Amino acid sequence: MSAKGIRGNIDLRRGLGSKTTDREKIMEDGPAGDWLALRSDQLLKWIDDAVYNASEATGMREVVDRVTRPIFNFAQRFSPHPLHFGIMCCAIEMGQASAPDHDIDRLGLVYRSSPRQCDVLIVNGPVCEKLRPKLKTLYEQMPEPKWVIAMGECAISGGPYWDSYSVVAGADTFMPVDVYIPGCPVRPEALMHGFLTLQKKIREKEPGMFLRR
Amino acid sequence: MNFKELQKQLKAMEGVSKLSLVRDNVIKIDLERSTSKDFFIKMKEECYFEHCSLITAIDNQPNFELVYHLSCLSGELKVGDTKMAAMLEVHVNLERDSPSIDSVSDLWFGANWHEREAFDLMGIYFIGHPDLRRVLLPEGFAGHPLRKDYVYEIHEEEW
Repeated sequence: MSAKGIRGNIDLRRGLGSKTTDREKIMEDGPAGDWLALRSDQLLKWIDDAVYNASEATGMREVVDRVTRPIFNFAQRFSPHPLHFGIMCCAIEMGQASAPDHDIDRLGLVYRSSPRQCDVLIVNGPVCEKLRPKLKTLYEQMPEPKWVIAMGECAISGGPYWDSYSVVAGADTFMPVDVYIPGCPVRPEALMHGFLTLQKKIREKEPGMFLRR
Repeated sequence: MNFKELQKQLKAMEGVSKLSLVRDNVIKIDLERSTSKDFFIKMKEECYFEHCSLITAIDNQPNFELVYHLSCLSGELKVGDTKMAAMLEVHVNLERDSPSIDSVSDLWFGANWHEREAFDLMGIYFIGHPDLRRVLLPEGFAGHPLRKDYVYEIHEEEW
């Protein structure tokens, strides 16, 4: 089957995912429904829409969601991979938490060096004005679902530097924070407790297969 | 050259006042702003101060004060019988309206970033500096925060 042949076929061009059935508007849109002419992210969205619409129409969505939700939830709860990113002294405690004394690996926490492979961003220190856009970029590079832990007084409110000219008054002034861990610096046990709290939060929120809906 | 000879030479120099000893190996002097460049060239070329340790700015309201720390690490300036490194502490008084002084970053390359820092945080302009940009604070920051009359604002961003 050649690409040209598909291009001419309006029924294929419309696609399962596209909402409109107006022929002329579809023609204007260009490659909106033509899955061979889509970019990779558009193609993913197209597949997502198609699967969603099909499952919704047949009533399978409820069934699949019921079945897969506990599995996805279990997987997310017991493997929240944090980003290996240290700002200040709380980073030392983060390192201590993964040392043999408080072996944090047994909670399924494996530090990853790339934000593309991470679920949790630990903000462990004061965020200065120069770091803020970089931290925001790291947060935006992480795939959904993602969570943020504000570790220590500096990340919660700015701590002793709250009225500084260059330190941001808390990480929640520029990104959503899920768990706050007080302490200066935070002890490794407190960090573990923070991750257990995050597990509870994930269990309550129960994100499943159709998280984006 | 000896350390005592250096003190005599400094006393005779133009623009130098209030010479005193802080410690056995540290001389403290006050310097006029207008003669600063000639003075520092002479220190570098003839008096063996081959290292500029520090440049600091102080805000004594209303005026600014610059402090240069020069040191001689080669041992040419002998302090008695000891092997201590001779140091020179130069204080320069600057007007608040136009705080500017000749740059010394062509004499000591390490002074480059010290001067940038003094410009960044205290707003002192170094004439002849090759690259006078902010070094610690982000580009586009308004004001010089270590001045006593600086008023800060808390920045917030929507998310």
